Amino acid sequence: MNDLRIPIGAFFLIAGALLVAMPSARAPLTQAPVNLYAGLVMLVFGGVMVWLARRRS
Amino acid sequence: MSLGRIDYVILSVYFAFVLGIGALMRRRVHTSEDFLTSHRSVPLWITSLAFIAANLGAQEVVGMCASGAKYGLMTAHFYWVGAVPAMLFVGVFMMPFYYGSRARSVPEYLKLRFDEKTRALNAATFAVMTVFSSGISMYALGKLFELVLGWSFTASVLLSAAIVLVYTFLGGLTSAIYNEVLQFFLIVLGFAPLAILAVNKAGGWTGLSSRLPAVMTQTWRHLGDASQNPMGVEVFGMVAGLGFVLSFGYWCTDFLVVQRAMAADSMSAARRTPLIAAFPKMIMPFIVIVPGVAAMALSQMGLGYALPAKPGGGPDYDLALTTLMAQFYPSGILGVGITALMASFMSGMAGNVTAFNTVFTYDLYQSYVHRNAPDRHYLWVGRFATVGGVGLSIATAYLASLFNNIMDLLQLVFSFVNAPLFATFLLGMFWKRTTGHGAFTGLLAGTAAAAATHGLTVAEGKGGWIGVVHTFPSTMAQNFWMAIFAWSVCFTVTILLSLASRPKPEEELRGLVYGCTDIPGDHSEPWYRRPGPLALIVGVALAILNAIFW
Repeated sequence: MNDLRIPIGAFFLIAGALLVAMPSARAPLTQAPVNLYAGLVMLVFGGVMVWLARRRS
Repeated sequence: MSLGRIDYVILSVYFAFVLGIGALMRRRVHTSEDFLTSHRSVPLWITSLAFIAANLGAQEVVGMCASGAKYGLMTAHFYWVGAVPAMLFVGVFMMPFYYGSRARSVPEYLKLRFDEKTRALNAATFAVMTVFSSGISMYALGKLFELVLGWSFTASVLLSAAIVLVYTFLGGLTSAIYNEVLQFFLIVLGFAPLAILAVNKAGGWTGLSSRLPAVMTQTWRHLGDASQNPMGVEVFGMVAGLGFVLSFGYWCTDFLVVQRAMAADSMSAARRTPLIAAFPKMIMPFIVIVPGVAAMALSQMGLGYALPAKPGGGPDYDLALTTLMAQFYPSGILGVGITALMASFMSGMAGNVTAFNTVFTYDLYQSYVHRNAPDRHYLWVGRFATVGGVGLSIATAYLASLFNNIMDLLQLVFSFVNAPLFATFLLGMFWKRTTGHGAFTGLLAGTAAAAATHGLTVAEGKGGWIGVVHTFPSTMAQNFWMAIFAWSVCFTVTILLSLASRPKPEEELRGLVYGCTDIPGDHSEPWYRRPGPLALIVGVALAILNAIFW
């Protein structure tokens, strides 16, 4: 493995996709779609990591 | 709190990734130095994040949130006073000697600078401390998961230990460091939403502040008198005890963190490692402490949220983090949060195990058991030390579950040993007249002074086993003052004994002591790659943060 950003990016892309797939889940003290927001942030973060790694290679 | 299927999927994906990184790193391990020191080949951004992730164990994450709930934002002093200044110091002033001396460990530096007995004392105490520290952390995680998730203590301990063992056994220090970076991002992305949701629910920072006493949301204003703040500490104890002795003693001399910087691929990168790490370190209080502060505000809002009570009465602050997660995290992000907790434990444990196997192999085994074996032999000793370190950690976790008082006693004894250590390094690196006899005797005298301070003072019913000459308002104040006395005694005794004994010739101190070492110039580098300007930027940012939350 040449670039650690690839596995880090891949992990957050998978985790983000899993969260985005469950947007309707709610917790007792908040009605916000926490999974959706957190999932989108993780998808963006994962995407940026993979993009940075590919750009370098 | 119960987990759904998706939460277990996220946890499983995480386990697969950390094991995968370990398997990939195995290809890079050919020699003992590859395994134990990464052969000084790790890029700067990775060593920087690993530098703080190795310190970000489960106890740190859970404990800091608990302290936020108990003491308020003053807990941020453990970062802004008790970490960042020391990180700047080790990067700017000490790393040229650690890295430039070509020592493979901190105890080995002590051998080069002083003598064998000083190295042996440091190596032996450090090796035992890392194993016990890892075991106690493992015990805390097992109990937490048992209490919160209903998981079996044995299953939590053995599963997490087995995964750490596999990836550190395969890829050694590089594997541990690479995984620490993944763990760092997971901790940040796993807990940051909790801070945002909890503060938002409490009415933003303004609403939160209006619901709590001022002392809970300010950092310096109530430090004028120990009786004015819940920590029971006054400004001198905070700055000298935490900000100088304990903080510099940990961040500048503990091989667990220094090892990450020493794995960097150049002297310049090694010096910048703690400086770059200081940026995320400064913002960690907003992720791990602020949720605890918010928990106290939420408990007064009639939302049905309250901290569970301890069996003996009073709120159980240690459950602040997990109760908030239960209230704000639905299934999905809850899995990310639990995985982040597991990751924090693993990064702390892997840090301890990789520091232990290096010190055991080079400073104990190679020095005292088998000196001139082929390198392949030491590679296998390093791997067996990894297995042994994990095994001893597991045994310690079970010992802690059976005899909790013994663990408290051991932690206390270790704090006696640690308190004076920075005086030895400070004199050793910056005063060429310091001798091995002076350093060794100073360390022993400082340790004795720490024990005597504890034995002669009492706080919250602890200490006073010799007699009571002073009562501290809190154990935290007692610990800070114990460290101040230990450091002062070690500093003084080391100077006196050094003046009475013969110093090493200057030619033997090259690369080890300020004034005898040519530190490579960095004037050809752009300003953002030079330690001085970077430290200045961190210092200014730190001052602004302290001013905002004064």
